[in-house]
Amino acid sequence: MSRSTHKKEYEIAIIGQPNVGKSTLFNILTGRKARVANWPGVTVEVHEGETDFDGSRIKLIDLPGIYGFSTISLEERIARNYILSGRPDAVIVLVDSLNPERTMYLAIQTLEMTEKVVIGFTKSDAAHAHGVHINYDLISKRLGVPVVPVSAATLRGIRSLLRTTIDVARGRAGRKKPLRIDYGELEPYVSSVESLLKQYEERMEYPIRWMALRLLEGDNDLYKYVRGVCGDDIAEEIVKIREEIKRIFRRDPAELLAKKRFEYLQRVLGDAIVRLEIKKGGFERFTRLFYRPFIGPVLSLIILLGMFMIAFTINTGFPLNILLDSLGMHDAASAVEEYSIGGLMEKLFSWISSWIINSFGESWLTDLVANGIISGVGSVLIFLPLIMIVSLFLAILEDSGIAPRMAVSLHGPLSKIGVSGHAIFPMTMSLGCNVPAILATRAIPSRSERLRLLMTLPFIPCQARLVVILAFASSLVSGYGALLVVLGYSAAFLAFAVVNKILYIYEKKKTGKKEPEIVLELPPIHRPLGKVLWWHVWDNSKHFLKKAGTIIFSLSILIWFLVNVSPSLAITDNPSDSIAAVFSHYLSPIVYPIGIEPGKAWIIAFALLIGFIAKEAVIETLTILTSTASPQQALMLLGLTASQLSALTVFVVLYVPCIATIAVIYSESRSVRHTLATIALMLGVAYVAMLITYGLSLII
Amino acid sequence: MGAYSRTVVLEELPSGSRARIVEIMGRGGWIYRLYQMGLTPGVIVDVVMNIGRGPIIIRVMGVEIAIGRGIARRIIVEPINT
Repeated sequence: MSRSTHKKEYEIAIIGQPNVGKSTLFNILTGRKARVANWPGVTVEVHEGETDFDGSRIKLIDLPGIYGFSTISLEERIARNYILSGRPDAVIVLVDSLNPERTMYLAIQTLEMTEKVVIGFTKSDAAHAHGVHINYDLISKRLGVPVVPVSAATLRGIRSLLRTTIDVARGRAGRKKPLRIDYGELEPYVSSVESLLKQYEERMEYPIRWMALRLLEGDNDLYKYVRGVCGDDIAEEIVKIREEIKRIFRRDPAELLAKKRFEYLQRVLGDAIVRLEIKKGGFERFTRLFYRPFIGPVLSLIILLGMFMIAFTINTGFPLNILLDSLGMHDAASAVEEYSIGGLMEKLFSWISSWIINSFGESWLTDLVANGIISGVGSVLIFLPLIMIVSLFLAILEDSGIAPRMAVSLHGPLSKIGVSGHAIFPMTMSLGCNVPAILATRAIPSRSERLRLLMTLPFIPCQARLVVILAFASSLVSGYGALLVVLGYSAAFLAFAVVNKILYIYEKKKTGKKEPEIVLELPPIHRPLGKVLWWHVWDNSKHFLKKAGTIIFSLSILIWFLVNVSPSLAITDNPSDSIAAVFSHYLSPIVYPIGIEPGKAWIIAFALLIGFIAKEAVIETLTILTSTASPQQALMLLGLTASQLSALTVFVVLYVPCIATIAVIYSESRSVRHTLATIALMLGVAYVAMLITYGLSLII
Repeated sequence: MGAYSRTVVLEELPSGSRARIVEIMGRGGWIYRLYQMGLTPGVIVDVVMNIGRGPIIIRVMGVEIAIGRGIARRIIVEPINT
């Protein structure tokens, strides 16, 4: 009859608490064809994907992982507003089969908002192995909601979940009304608020009972909304009722209501779940070491260091080549370097370049393609394997459950500089790329800590800056090259620690804040799923390839023109007549203090300027400007001393990483002042550190 | 002895002990997060590991959670003899 029963297109939301396996299931449901949706007014990433089922088109919305619908975080607010908007035809709430008692809390809260709910129990394959036996039918009967066990590993239940969801969307299955929990002795108060709101029912956009409950829980957003619709008097009344509960029960209503929900959940699940005690595995016991003082932090640091060492060696031969070299095995060292993935790719790109020039003859066009685009993009692309390997390691740590244990182990040392263990995720990601790292700070519960991290995370050198450090290092005698890398990373972490500590002390004086805190769930350790690891690796690689294909590609062309065209717009073979040279002479004085002579200073200054856009471009620019074939030759030609190289390395590591990072700092802080302060801070710290490094290296 | 033995703060409980939450003091976003993670009065927590410094590891409703000491100091519990 009604149009909705014959609808062919459905919009379905997926929600779940963190660690229930939501993203994995979403990817399976959509066949990995999701895209990041651009939701107006929000910067949280919301993924959308589509799938066809039984002649219906299903649009799936992957909402952020949340614990509940209070509005303490942006993620919670977005999920809640979307579900209440009436747009979704049904909501799939995912519950972890390994701990339904806790993760069902979100399902209960969702059911109080809307009746169009399907509950999916994830990891159903693993439940038996963990000694958890669940009577799904009983839970379904008690809640009046379809319950479907699913498994991302075996794909069991996926089709059934989609079929049931469509049934709910069509109104053929599931509840007819939102869930009503009996709040016992609190019911009179809930009803009072309900009857106050009822007078305005036709003007309200949300379910009345749900609003009453949330208002009692002290929901500020909703309170403002109600005051707008019903006026100050009603709002005042509601506050009075809330105060009365506080006076009579001597408890926060939010606590009382949460407790009642968990008690209700206990009645629903109680005899529907049987747990058999399963002995803890040896590996589980091993992970307890992370919680020990001293051993824990050391173990975590060894894992991180080891991870990067392996990744570097496979990609560039460093640091294995230097180790072999210092042992006197020079042939082995150069073989490691030559046959590393980076070395092989470098060969490939220089072969393509010379092939182009040889087959099409020398002209300004072949020069642009061969020496501008191919060597420019190529000098960046050789780091793709490094990015893939590092992403793989990070994905293993995250998906296995080791990452949160590392956060716990490093909470102690980190709290000395005013950041909590939560910060270890963005810090580790920063070693790969600052942009996702800054997005990852959203999970940090303390807002002031988050703002401090937005300013200081960019000090941690990403892989682009590693590229520059390694190129600088390669122009030095091997032992010194290794020292330069150590210097770069030490300067970065020192700056990160010192600046954080100063900001933290300042904040403590101003607001009297206490030590950083941590509340972090530790999911059971498990073997990561191969396909999930691959998704992580591929997503990161795709991001990097896109960047190489767009930003780096355009920059290569731009730089080539700036250094091959004179101000009178004629093509010139002499870079010192070019637009870049003329312009950069004004910037040259910034590098005079480290003893670089004016004739060469403009080249360095221009490279640093280009480095603002993307750090990889520093090397690319030096190579193009000196008309040399490799970074080593470029640096050799510039004749920089070890002291000057050290000072420049420190500057490159510490100053503004790239345009993309600045953009994301702005979008996350929503403050021009905060963004400008970050830029000023980085430039100031970098410049001072550069001068100190130069001064110190002269003394030594 | 008996039901009302004594109350202590979660921070003081040794590894391997079990207790019932009596009250969570303080306010702010932390409290809501704790409620949502199942830490409400009346709930039983197992202390998986407390070594006197660093976060305390507890188990609530079958889930392990790391809690900073500052927060653990604000959770009042009643130890249960096992």
